[in-house]
Amino acid sequence: MPVTTSAKERSLPAISLRRRPQASAPRLSLRLFAALVAGKGAATASRLLGRGGGTSLPGMVARRVEPRVLETLVRGQGVPTIAITGSNGKTTTARLTAALLRGEGVAVSHNSAGANLVQGVTSLAIGFADLRGRLPEGTLVVEVDEAALRVVAPELDLRALLVTDLFRDQLDRYGEIYAVAGAIEKAAAGLPPDASLVVNGDDPMVAGLGLDREGRRVTFGFDLPGSTDRISRAADTIRCPRCRADLAYRHVYLSHMGEWRCPSCGLVRPPLDVAVTSVEVVDLRETRCTLQTPDGPLDLRIPQAGIHIAYDAAGAVAIAVGLGLPIPHAAASLATVGPAFGRLETIAADGRRIVLGFAKNPTSFNTTLRALATEGEPRQLLVAASNTLVDGEDFAWLWDVDFEGAAGRVERVTVSGLRADELANRLKYAGVDPARMAIVTDRRAALDRALLDVKQGGTLVILAGYTPTIELREEMRKRGWVGRFWEA
Amino acid sequence: MTVTAPGELRLRIAHLYPSLLNVAGDGGNLTAIVQRCRWRGIETEVVPVEAGETADYPGFDLLLFHGGQDVEMAVVAADLPRQAEGLRAAADAGVVFLAVCAGLQLLGHRYIPSAGPTLEGVGVLDLETRGGPQRFMQHAACEVTLGGETEIVVGFENHSGQTELGPGVRPFGRVVAGAGNNGRDGTEGAVRENVYATYLHGPVLPKNPWLTDKLIEIALERRLGRRVALAPLDDAVERNAHDVGLAKALRNRGRRTALEPARFGWR
Repeated sequence: MPVTTSAKERSLPAISLRRRPQASAPRLSLRLFAALVAGKGAATASRLLGRGGGTSLPGMVARRVEPRVLETLVRGQGVPTIAITGSNGKTTTARLTAALLRGEGVAVSHNSAGANLVQGVTSLAIGFADLRGRLPEGTLVVEVDEAALRVVAPELDLRALLVTDLFRDQLDRYGEIYAVAGAIEKAAAGLPPDASLVVNGDDPMVAGLGLDREGRRVTFGFDLPGSTDRISRAADTIRCPRCRADLAYRHVYLSHMGEWRCPSCGLVRPPLDVAVTSVEVVDLRETRCTLQTPDGPLDLRIPQAGIHIAYDAAGAVAIAVGLGLPIPHAAASLATVGPAFGRLETIAADGRRIVLGFAKNPTSFNTTLRALATEGEPRQLLVAASNTLVDGEDFAWLWDVDFEGAAGRVERVTVSGLRADELANRLKYAGVDPARMAIVTDRRAALDRALLDVKQGGTLVILAGYTPTIELREEMRKRGWVGRFWEA
Repeated sequence: MTVTAPGELRLRIAHLYPSLLNVAGDGGNLTAIVQRCRWRGIETEVVPVEAGETADYPGFDLLLFHGGQDVEMAVVAADLPRQAEGLRAAADAGVVFLAVCAGLQLLGHRYIPSAGPTLEGVGVLDLETRGGPQRFMQHAACEVTLGGETEIVVGFENHSGQTELGPGVRPFGRVVAGAGNNGRDGTEGAVRENVYATYLHGPVLPKNPWLTDKLIEIALERRLGRRVALAPLDDAVERNAHDVGLAKALRNRGRRTALEPARFGWR
């Protein structure tokens, strides 16, 4: 069993999930009160106007009134916080972590609406606070955008920070992936020594984060006997983080994640504290995996689809290991965690089935397409992409998605969103006959158009970016097919 | 087009450093060339050339040299001396080049970054690039004249290098929207004989089918030694992507980046 946490490390005391004793209730300044009122008011207004859950607006409004509102609410009161960052898997890992902690009797404040920029995290804290600025007892579990982390982390009281992976993701927002890695390294270095840093050892860009930092560091990854993927052109960080030589892989598990080593300088994947030793994607409703942990093996059945779910589960378990929290109820806790909104969510739609898959970069697209292929390639497809602040402006990465594999079997594709033009062009060059394509920019009309071709009992697969996923889901909510996305 | 013998309609394409220079979807340029050839019954053979390898460049019809991030660009620059002579010979022989971003910079004399050592280029193009204080990240468009026709070419620029052209090249295009080579002189990219270099990602070819077809045409004419007229294709989907890109370039000159948050107004 690849138990590698040193005895010294394991003898460390558990990391406290209590409020820091020196911290106190916030001094209620007029400005803080005004910020809370304005933020909560914006949330209510946003909901009443049917503009979604108000996931960004309250934070934006409140920070205009009091720029230090998040810092006052969270760091100022010493509220224990667990943050999850990285390119992929933030929302699912946060959900699994919240369930894991709750299952062991830890009070948790968390929601998985997925707004993870500065404004979104601030909205979350305002949502949990009362009008005096007091947060409920318990641990805050948040996901933080990898580029926003540097701004957000100092305003929280982090007890654990998990980095899932780093993929090329919206280059127009971040410039270059190396700049993002550097920013995360800075945030990791700024963690207090009594916090745990949890990293994905299979991702070369992430595996070496925080090595020089004082404090606990826990690694997770896959330890499977064979590869489950190959290096594709979507992979972008396959050079050695130390010497920039091309890395060699013994096994590739997902995009550029795997058991890697550098043939030039000898750097190798770090030993794994939590290792996935088997994964089986049963169908769209279940993934089974076995994890080796310092406290023994764990057999998990998670009601979600995809090999990446095993990474997310290993990350959540590694957080518990990092905190020194025993998790005897892990299997039962994680067995209850269905997909977050739009993560291959299965929706009953008046006798037809909709599988809603949120995809934002080549890796999440390819991973989602692979999970869908467990049922055979989709025949009826709705694909949507929109340029927005959170979805980015440059959609060049669509050309790195492996649409070619699915193109041949598709019977009908409805292309939607503000960037339907780029998406349609990509699909045409992937081999989808334009005669099988309908470009319907408007999301509601696109949903109607796509469902026209789906018979009773048939399936429509939707692949969409963040904003169109929320819009399409909201439309389905109005039709009574799903609940609200921020409650999913 | 005059009747050609079977197999005569064929293009050999060298794809330089496909694993290192794969950023910003530039691989879509190859997809565009290969598909538009296939739809017309023109065969293509694609030869990837990775770091540590080399190829007989003058023996190709078309050569793709794409963009990459700083780290990958440095790895490519270190490997480039082994390619330099062959690339210069290919350019002199009239092989059609499409170079994008880092490819443009490394076909020049040198790239002098803001920090770190100078990267030597191969000197196929008379131009030099210096790292600048500002990153140009936006939809962009330029006016390009090729074979007597003038069209607007659209794409997305993402670079901090500032390029100055020497007398040995002319601009690929005139800036309509965006920063172009350096944000000052209104030039975009560079051309010398059949070597075409641009800063435009997007990727640039799929949404500019006119440019794609020009490159194919020039390469075929050079191979066959006579005029070629390509069969027309239905480009409605491409034209739509082009027009949306152009509208964005003309309207959305601002930058949006999560690294500089909370700069957007009320919408």
